[in-house]
Amino acid sequence: MTGLTGLVDPITPFAVPFLGRPLLLLVALAIAAGTVGVLVHLRRLEFSTDGLTHAVFPGLAIGAALGGTAGLLPGAIGAALAAAVVLALLARRGQPRDTAVAIVLTTFFSFGVVLVSASGRAAGSIADFFFGRLLTITWADVGTSVALIATAVALVALTGRMQLFAAFDPSGARRAGLPVLALEVVGTIAIALVVVAASASVGTLLALAVVIVPAAAARALTRSLRAAIGTAIAFGAVTGWAGLWIVVQLAHVGVDAAPGATVALTMIAGYLAALAIGGLRGRPAAAARGSAR
Amino acid sequence: MSASGTSAVVEVEGASFGYGGARVLEDVSFSVRPGEAVALIGPNGAGKSTLLAGILGLAEHEARAFRVPTGRGEIGALPQASEIDPAFPVTLEQVVAMGRTPRLGLRWPGAHDRRAVTEALETVGLAALRRKRFGDLSGGQRQRGLLARALASEPRLLLLDEPFNGLDQASRDALLETIAALKARGVALLITTHDLDLARAVCDRTLLVNGRQIAFDDTACVLTLEQVEAAFASHVFELDGHTLATTEHHAAEHAERHRRLLADDAAGEHDAR
Repeated sequence: MTGLTGLVDPITPFAVPFLGRPLLLLVALAIAAGTVGVLVHLRRLEFSTDGLTHAVFPGLAIGAALGGTAGLLPGAIGAALAAAVVLALLARRGQPRDTAVAIVLTTFFSFGVVLVSASGRAAGSIADFFFGRLLTITWADVGTSVALIATAVALVALTGRMQLFAAFDPSGARRAGLPVLALEVVGTIAIALVVVAASASVGTLLALAVVIVPAAAARALTRSLRAAIGTAIAFGAVTGWAGLWIVVQLAHVGVDAAPGATVALTMIAGYLAALAIGGLRGRPAAAARGSAR
Repeated sequence: MSASGTSAVVEVEGASFGYGGARVLEDVSFSVRPGEAVALIGPNGAGKSTLLAGILGLAEHEARAFRVPTGRGEIGALPQASEIDPAFPVTLEQVVAMGRTPRLGLRWPGAHDRRAVTEALETVGLAALRRKRFGDLSGGQRQRGLLARALASEPRLLLLDEPFNGLDQASRDALLETIAALKARGVALLITTHDLDLARAVCDRTLLVNGRQIAFDDTACVLTLEQVEAAFASHVFELDGHTLATTEHHAAEHAERHRRLLADDAAGEHDAR
C-alpha cells in the first residue's frame, strides 16, 4: 500500500535531502542544457563534448586516488585543461577535428581505465565514475557544481548574440569584425565547466546526456531559437525529475537501479518521444531535407 | 581624385594586397567618397576579392597611404557566397539583428538598435517576412537578408562582392533601388561585378584591375573598349554588342553559379511549402 501512495505522489519523496539535492542539481543542469547545450547543438560540437567527458575520466580517477571525493573536481578540471591543450596541439598539426577528438577520447579514456584498475580498487569504482553518485551527493558538492554551472551559463548568456552569429555564419562574423576565435574559446570554456561540474557529481554518462539530449529533443520539437531554449530547459528539468521518481519507485519494489543511468535513460526515452511527436508534425523531415542540401 | 580630399571614406595610394607575402594585386590607388558607388571590375583571379579582404583587414596590404574605416561595424560586407545551413533555427529578423552585434559588443540591444534592424529590413524590402525562418526564404531573398544584416550595423562603407550574380530580374531591380537609396543616405559603396551595364547604371567611378590597376576614373571614361580589352586580355567579354577575343572560361563559371543559385531557389520554395 505504501508503494501505491509513493506511486501517486510525485512531490513528497523529494522532501528528503538525498533526493532534494540531486533534483536541485538536475534543475541547474537543465538550465545549462538550455544554454550551453543549445550552443553545443548549434555549433555541432556533440562529438567534441563526448571527447571532453571521456577525457575528464582519468582526472576523476587520479583525483579520487589522491584526495578521495574531494579530489574529484580538481582532478576533472586538470584533465579538462590537459585535454584542451592536446586538442589544440593536434588541430594545429592539421588533424581534422573529429580525428583529434577521437585520439584524445581513446587516449585519455584508456589511461583512466588503466589507472583505476592498477590502483587496485574495487571493480565497482569504475561504475562510480561512469554513473556518478547522484544520490550520495553532499551539499558542498551541489554548491560547487551549481557555481561552476552558473559561471558557464553566464558566459554563454553574455556572449549569446555574438555566439549565435559565429555559429550561424563564421566567415560572415569574421568579416563583420567579431572576435570569432575568442568566442570559440569562451564557448569551449563554458562547455568544459558544465562537463566538469556534471562529471564530478552525476558521472561521465549523465554529464554527456544532459549537455546533448535536451537540446536535440528541443530541436526536434521547435523551429525557433527561443522556443528551443525554453523547451530544452523544461525537457531537462522534467526528465531529470521523472528519472529520479522512477529510481524511487524501483527502490520501492526492491530494484536497485543505478540513478545516473536511469536518469540518462529517461532523457533518451523523452528524446525518442520528442522525435516521434516532431515526426508526426512532419518537421524533422523538413529539417533533414534542409541539412542534406 | 585629389578633389575628394580628406572627406573620402576610403583613401588608398600605391597599395598592394596579398596573402602570406605573395602579392595578388599591386599598385592600386583609388578613393571612395560618401554617397558614391565605385565599381571594381576585372577578370577572375584579378585580385578583386583580395582587395575587399584587404579593406576588411583579412588580407595583407602594403601602401603609401591606406585610410579605411576601422570602427566597430563601420564596414558592412556582402560576400559572394555564404555557407549557411538552411535548417539553422533563426528568423530573418534574428539574422539581420546579428549584423548589429559588432556595434553592441556585450551590451543589451536598445531602442536604437531595434530601429536599425527594422530600417535595414525595410531598405531591402523584406520587412513583411521578418518572422520567417531564414532557411525558408528563396535564394534571392536570403541574399537581400544578408545585405540587410550588413546594413544593420549602419556602415559608412559597404562592400558588395558580385551582388547581382544569380539574381532574378525582380531581385536585381530591388537591389538597384537599394543601392540608390544607400547612396542618397551617404553610404560609400565598393561593388565588384562582371556586368558592365550594371556598373554603368549605379557606379559613379570604376576601378579596373587585373593583377595591377588598369584604370580608375569616371565609369564612362574607364569602360572603353581598349581599357576593358587590356584588363580582360584573354577572356570572353561582351561590351556594347562587341564580343572581345578571349580564351578563359569565364562565362561557363558564371553560368554554373547561376544554375546553383536557381536550384537553391527551387529547393527553398519547396521547403517553404
